[in-house]
Amino acid sequence: MPLLRSAFAILCMGALATCAPPTAGCSGDYCGTVIFASIGEPETLLPPLVESSVARDVSDQVFLKLADLGPATNTIGDEGFTPMLAQRWEWRGRQELIFHLDPRARWQDGKPVTAGDVAFTFGAYTDAKVNSPFKSSLHWISSVTASDSLTAVFQFQRRYPEMFYDAVYHMRILPAHLLRDVPRAEWKSAAFGRAPVGDGPYRFVSWKAGETLELAADSTFFLGRPYIRRLIWRITPDLQVAVTGLVAGEDDAVEMLVSPDNIRRARAAPQLAIHPYKGATYGYLGFNLTARGNRKQPHPLFGDRDVRRALAMAVDRKRLVESLFGPYAQVPPGPMSQIWWIWSLDTRPLPFDTLEAARILTRRGWVDSNKDGIRDRHGQTLSFSLLVPTTSAVRRGYARLIQEQLRPLGVEVRIDEVDFSVFVQRAQAGEFDALLQTWNTDPTPSSGIAQTWTRAGIGSSNYGHYVNPAFDRLVAEASSTTSQAVARRDWRAAMEIINQDAPAIFLFATTNVAAVHRRIENVTLQPDSWWASLRTWRIPATRLIDRDRVAGGGGR
Amino acid sequence: MIAWLVRRLAAALAIVFAVVTFTFFLMHLAPGQPLLPGAEAPVDPAIVAELRHQFGLDRPLFVQYGKYLTALAHGNFGESFALHRSVADALREAVPNTLVLTATALSIDLLLGFALGIYQATHARRMPDIGLGFVTLFLYSVPTFWLGLVVLLVFGEWLRWFPVGGMVDPALHYALPWIGRAGDRLWHLALPALTLGLVGAAGTARYQRAAMLEVLGQDFVRTARAKGLSERRVVLVHALRNALLSFITLAGLSLPFLLTGAVLVETVFAWPGMGRLAADAVFRRDYPVVMAVTIGASVMVVLGNLLADVLYHVADPRIRVSGG
Repeated sequence: MPLLRSAFAILCMGALATCAPPTAGCSGDYCGTVIFASIGEPETLLPPLVESSVARDVSDQVFLKLADLGPATNTIGDEGFTPMLAQRWEWRGRQELIFHLDPRARWQDGKPVTAGDVAFTFGAYTDAKVNSPFKSSLHWISSVTASDSLTAVFQFQRRYPEMFYDAVYHMRILPAHLLRDVPRAEWKSAAFGRAPVGDGPYRFVSWKAGETLELAADSTFFLGRPYIRRLIWRITPDLQVAVTGLVAGEDDAVEMLVSPDNIRRARAAPQLAIHPYKGATYGYLGFNLTARGNRKQPHPLFGDRDVRRALAMAVDRKRLVESLFGPYAQVPPGPMSQIWWIWSLDTRPLPFDTLEAARILTRRGWVDSNKDGIRDRHGQTLSFSLLVPTTSAVRRGYARLIQEQLRPLGVEVRIDEVDFSVFVQRAQAGEFDALLQTWNTDPTPSSGIAQTWTRAGIGSSNYGHYVNPAFDRLVAEASSTTSQAVARRDWRAAMEIINQDAPAIFLFATTNVAAVHRRIENVTLQPDSWWASLRTWRIPATRLIDRDRVAGGGGR
Repeated sequence: MIAWLVRRLAAALAIVFAVVTFTFFLMHLAPGQPLLPGAEAPVDPAIVAELRHQFGLDRPLFVQYGKYLTALAHGNFGESFALHRSVADALREAVPNTLVLTATALSIDLLLGFALGIYQATHARRMPDIGLGFVTLFLYSVPTFWLGLVVLLVFGEWLRWFPVGGMVDPALHYALPWIGRAGDRLWHLALPALTLGLVGAAGTARYQRAAMLEVLGQDFVRTARAKGLSERRVVLVHALRNALLSFITLAGLSLPFLLTGAVLVETVFAWPGMGRLAADAVFRRDYPVVMAVTIGASVMVVLGNLLADVLYHVADPRIRVSGG
């Protein structure tokens, strides 16, 4: 018993010492610590090699782009873009774009940011040795040169509507003086990626693997001193653990609560405010148009356009969204996320009409001849397997509800749940009948649609092998015209075609919901980069709590 | 003794080699694919192909196996596919965290289980024994992760007596005096260690109760009582030493169970240890990390059993180690 008492006493002392407010510390407008509950850990903070959203979140606070997307997320022309490293820009001729850098911009080691850094960055992003995932997004830029220390000149191979977007959006400018001597083939595991020096509003402090990653405000940041002094990402293994930390008051923010249950939990926590914003994800049931495991033969069921249309008409997509997302998703008007500028197109998806669906199937010869509840034709049943990743509760829910919605029509759906890695492998190999897929899109439809729904995406992300030359032509035209009105018309026509062909049932486009501690003011979230406006968030001096006031940066 | 130890070490090495080989082929032959992007975004197949080439995954399996063994013989665990760093660096940070957790849990497991087992045996078939029997059976039956979630919900989220995850308070820890920092660490360790330790202690208590009951019924115990020794001395000196053998066996066997449990507990409590590293690596098919963690775990288990064998000999000199 004395032993137990001693142990308990130590615990209590620890708890008291932990809970005791620091006696001295920060006060005023530039205090504050925000702890983000992060799902997963960055792989590196070196921008050309950043892949995960958490790595992007952190590195976007440390490194700047030349300019950033505005709130409208317009990607055509340069309208609405916000200057960042580039103070201004100008077009020379049809294929030359000139950026004038802000002379106040400094690397966090004190050196000025120069046009030479911009040229170096382009070289790095397009170097095969670095193997950056952004390399293909820069393929129309033929060169970037420095005409003087503050002027960077971009030459393009051709003129197209998203030239400016490509020039500024994919690259975060890198410090040439710190990276020039690091062999490009070794960038993936370079020490710089775990302790970067950038030019953004926050500077790197520490990264404890599996635990935390901390940044501190750069009080000399040339675009304005950030109000929040410390940013800490607490690394958690999954969303449930992250939400538990948030609800318990240990963390301050989660960017996506995802499920209605998590949103309910966060709403019930009095210290949290809920912030919905446009989501970059859309999900669908994709049909394999080729025979399972044999890409040369058409699929015995889904090779038939009418069967696909009938199944699409038999699924009540609106009800599914309401059941699984509540108000936090919409049925998309085609393969698109809410952040795309084409979201508001007036397209006509196939209607929910089970009678017409049944008529189509009967017309195509699919009838229940042996009265077992499943339609059949020439000895083959109208039955297919639906591939679903076990990691997604939403998609597992969708699979069960779709199974139930198609059963009365005489269609059997067999749910095939596999882990994520197997899911992708089988999707790429065509070893599925139908799958429940989601895509996280970048802000432009041009690249995403081409990669996932046109012939160019075969062998890449067009898992269902949907090909329609008329659709491909319209996508190409919409992506190459410099007129937004013409692009809008072409995108609309393209979406009409794909909706009528029904290579997939487009099920949901999410609205993201973030939860942020109420003591934090001026919270805005950017759909393509959630915490991009973080430097303008603030905590009024009257609402500071212990962790806001604590003196000095942690994480040693 | 030395010859026996050498033989046992050679056997341990053979076991670890077998584990390495089995795990290598199992991982590579299992369905699923490494080097996938972190998010579900369209990815350029050329980039994945280049990565596969960089990591040698486009070479025949036996060539990969040969290269892996050669590197391993030089103490090189390779580069992680997903973490963008060497596996050795990742393990260097994760292993101490797991050792802290499992050592604390093992202490709780053995001390509490041992004490409860003795108490139950000396109060056999009375109310305290029956009550504790129910409790230990319940704890022994529940999955570790479920117990972890319940403990987290009650003591972390509802009562807020303990933190819900991590090893330290990320914002305040380094601003605290040393006693506060030590307390902060203990405070964060409490729930995961208790979760892991309690499940183990429940099993240990049940084994220890049975072993003590058997010993307490033997002639030499009756003789000790007949000599007029106090019940305390009979139990703690005479009976206990004889019941220790099963305890030592159990201690050796506890380690693998604790390591398995640590995978789940580390995930539930966001504890940055080897278990969480392994779980992430398995899902992402990060072969080098899975291999290294498996090797580390098998070495720990083999050494734990070896230690148990040595202690067995110390506790009962009648057992001759030369006999195997």
